[in-house]
Order: sequence, then structure tokens, then C-alpha cells
Amino acid sequence: MAEKWTVTFLINRQKDGVEPHFESFQLEVNPDEYVLDAIERVWAFHDRSLLFRHACHHSTCGACGMRVNGVEKLTCITTIRSVTSDGGTVKVEPLRNFPVVGDLVVDMTRLYARMEMVKAPSVIPLDEAPKPDTSVFDIKPDHDAPDDMIRLVDCIECGMCVSACPVPLTTPEYLGPAVLAGAHLRGLDNNPSLLELVDGPNGVWRCHSAFECTAVCPSNVEPGWRIMDLRKQVVKKRFQRLFGRGG
Amino acid sequence: MATAQTDPHARSNFWKWFDAFRRAPGMWAYALNRLSAIGLTVYLFMHLIVLRTLTEGPQAYDDFVALVKSPVFVFGELVVVIGGVYHGLNGLRVALTAFGIGVPYQKHMFYAVLIITAVVSLVFGIHMFTA
Amino acid sequence: MLERSTAPKAGENTWLWLLKIISGVLVIVLLFVHLVVNHLVPTEGLLSYEEVIAYVTTPGIALMEMTFLVVVVSHSLIGLRSIILDLNPSPGVLRVVNWVLTLIGVAAVVYGIWLMQMLVAQAA
Repeated sequence: MAEKWTVTFLINRQKDGVEPHFESFQLEVNPDEYVLDAIERVWAFHDRSLLFRHACHHSTCGACGMRVNGVEKLTCITTIRSVTSDGGTVKVEPLRNFPVVGDLVVDMTRLYARMEMVKAPSVIPLDEAPKPDTSVFDIKPDHDAPDDMIRLVDCIECGMCVSACPVPLTTPEYLGPAVLAGAHLRGLDNNPSLLELVDGPNGVWRCHSAFECTAVCPSNVEPGWRIMDLRKQVVKKRFQRLFGRGG
Repeated sequence: MATAQTDPHARSNFWKWFDAFRRAPGMWAYALNRLSAIGLTVYLFMHLIVLRTLTEGPQAYDDFVALVKSPVFVFGELVVVIGGVYHGLNGLRVALTAFGIGVPYQKHMFYAVLIITAVVSLVFGIHMFTA
Repeated sequence: MLERSTAPKAGENTWLWLLKIISGVLVIVLLFVHLVVNHLVPTEGLLSYEEVIAYVTTPGIALMEMTFLVVVVSHSLIGLRSIILDLNPSPGVLRVVNWVLTLIGVAAVVYGIWLMQMLVAQAA
């Protein structure tokens, strides 16, 4: 017998001409189901006009990022148990810092366009992009890996880091954690044109070390650390240029 | 389709800087740092301006000193001390992580900053009101 | 293809940020010195006019206090600029802001030097 909870979902509704407001849906749920499952059920059995995005349902596509009780979550892997209790409420809102298309769907164009702009890689060599101090990222193949062994990059472009960051709140031009992390992966050494971009007025210096991006990233990208590391690289490059390439 | 969330000129967004409730400690650190920065700047310029009384002779300065010994001002000074200690310590944390030192421990550093600020505030508070 | 950015040249912000961090560390050091020699060393903690005059004529004090002033004003104004940047000013507004902040900074330091010089003169 599966456990059954009664949970009220307060879902943000808005469309062109309809001001944002919450609508309440009471559901009987299994607490080990995911928030996304509940949203789907609302759509299927309660209100077919609910707009939301979903695709893979296993945290690799980045489509289902939303704010659950005010905090960014990937709803396909967020259990109802982790965000509420029996008889409780769950508030579901779209991501912050992106234009809202309707209900829970936001326009992510800006993010994708900027990832293109920094040519954020989608695959990297197997042993690259580790984060220091964490053995999780010490990728050591069991055998002598051929040089061309590669893996998919961690970032799933879900936009949750952008939503959580305080800077785009007032400055949409800020490149943002995902894009700066992508630039970091691309690397300044091989791509000098990136320097002007990340050292520009909306690049690495706008970060205020809130580390919210790292806190909400569902995919171990660690954008906070990457921005800091990128800063070090930028300073090094600036000093090099000042003293004429390597002093 | 600019909503308050994406309209950079929306007044309400300014207050969202301090919307740290239920978010990660780093957000609190940033909000408090910003708040203390504004407060300390106000204090700095006030401090510079009141020092002018020194040029108006001993009487003017003595009057001023008598004023700042009153409880309201002493309390105000305590607030400045708390803000200053927090801002300085968290600033060190920001400086360290900005150079890549201790990034995995940024949360721990923040808690240490809070604890030290609390202890120093307590010590100063007791000292200021019993001296 | 992206929105126009708030105009300053690339690289400018690197140096400003470095200045902010360095001045921040110097503030911590100098503030400590300032508080010790202001409140712990003199008997009345500089709360009497005579003590202040004796203090400003002590060798090295004027230099320390002026350095402290420059460093703390720089840190404060660069920090203020960051906060203003977050309010997304247009390039024109930002240029004005830069000038105003610079002027305030220069004025504060000039005022400090004038004040120090006045007090040293009053000791004579």
C-alpha cells in the first residue's frame, strides 16, 4: 500500500492579459512521487490550460526547472516529501530572471544565445574540468584511455542558476553563472576573444559571491567556483598584457 | 512581456536583493554585506563631517563629546561596530574565495564570520554599556 | 546580437575590483591601528580637545590617518559604484556617476588634509 498524502499545490498562473496569480489545486499524492508528476496530474485531470515544460523526466534535459516554495528545483527529481508534509502546501512558480511566457514556462532564449556566444562546449576530454578538492571529479579511467575519450559536459542549461542569482534581478545584461561557467570550460587560453567578453562590464566582476548558483545547480557544474577561477585567469591575462606577454 | 522579474527598472527588484529567506547562506552573506556597506558609508561621511567641530575650539568639541556619550549614540556606535566587524570579516571571505582559496568551505567561512561577529558584538556591547 | 552593455571599456573593471579588494584588506589593517591609537593609547581615548591636539602632532599620525582616509574612501566609493551598477544605469548615467564619485572622493581627501592641517596649526 503506497502512502497517500493530501497536498495543496499553489500554482502560478499568468498569460497575456492575465495578471500573475496563484491557483490552488488539492491532490492526493504519493509523497515519493515528484513535484513534476503532480503538475502533470493537475494538467491532465484538473486544468488543461496549464502551461509547463517537461521532457526527459530524469534530470538530463534541463526543461523542468521551477521555483518550488521559493527555491529553484529540478521538479522531475524533487520528491513531494522533500518539500512539504501531509496536509501541507507547495507553491510552484516559474524561474526568476527570465520573461514569463505563461504559467510556469519562461523564455530561455537569452540563456541559449549567450551559451552560443561564448561557445560553451557540450563535450570535453574525460579528465578535464575537474573541480579542485573533490575526489568525485578525479576521473581516472580504469585503463589507459585513448586521448580522444570524451564525456558530456555537466551543464544541462536548465537556467536555475540564473534564476537564483541576485544580479540578473536588476541587470538582465549580466552574462550569468551558466554562461560564465561555460566560458570557463571553453578556456581563455585557447580563445582570447572570450577575454573581452568575460572581463567586460557584464562579466565576471558583477558576481557578488552569493554562491546561490552553486547551491541550486542540479548537475555539479559549480558555477560559483568557476567564476572565481575565471577571475584569476582574467587577472593573470591582464597582468601579462600589461607587462607584454609573460613579463 | 517584461514583468517585474525581468524589467530592470522595476522598483520592487531593489528590495529583492535582500530576499534571502529560505535561500542558501551565501545569499544572506551577500545581502548583509550590502546592507552593512551602505550603513558604514553613511557612518563614514557623518564621522568626517562631525570632526569639523574640532576646528571650532575646545568648547565645541567638548559639547560634541558630551552628546555622543548619551545612550542613543552609544547604541548607534554599537550598531556601527557590528556592521563593521561583519563587513570586514565577510569581506575577507569574499576576497579569499575570489582568489579561489577555500571555495568549497565558503559556507563554513560564513558561519565562522557570523559567530565571530556575534562574540565581538557581545563583548563590545557589554564594554560600551558598563564603561 | 545582445543588448547594449553599460559602456565602460573592458579591463577597467578588473583594476577597480582589484583596488576594492586591496583597499579592503588595507582598511582592516589601518582601522585596527586607528582604533588602537585613538582609543586605547591616549588616556581619555581622544575625548578631550587637548588630547586630540597632542595626538595630531605626534610624528607619523598625520601620515597614518591620511593614508587610512584615502584607502577607506576609495573602498567605500568603489563599493557604492558596484551597488549603482546593479541598478543598471545607462552608459551616460554611468559616466556621470563615475565623475560624481570621483569628485566626492577627492573632496573627502582634500577635506581630511585641510582638517588635519588646521588642527596641527592650532597646536602651535
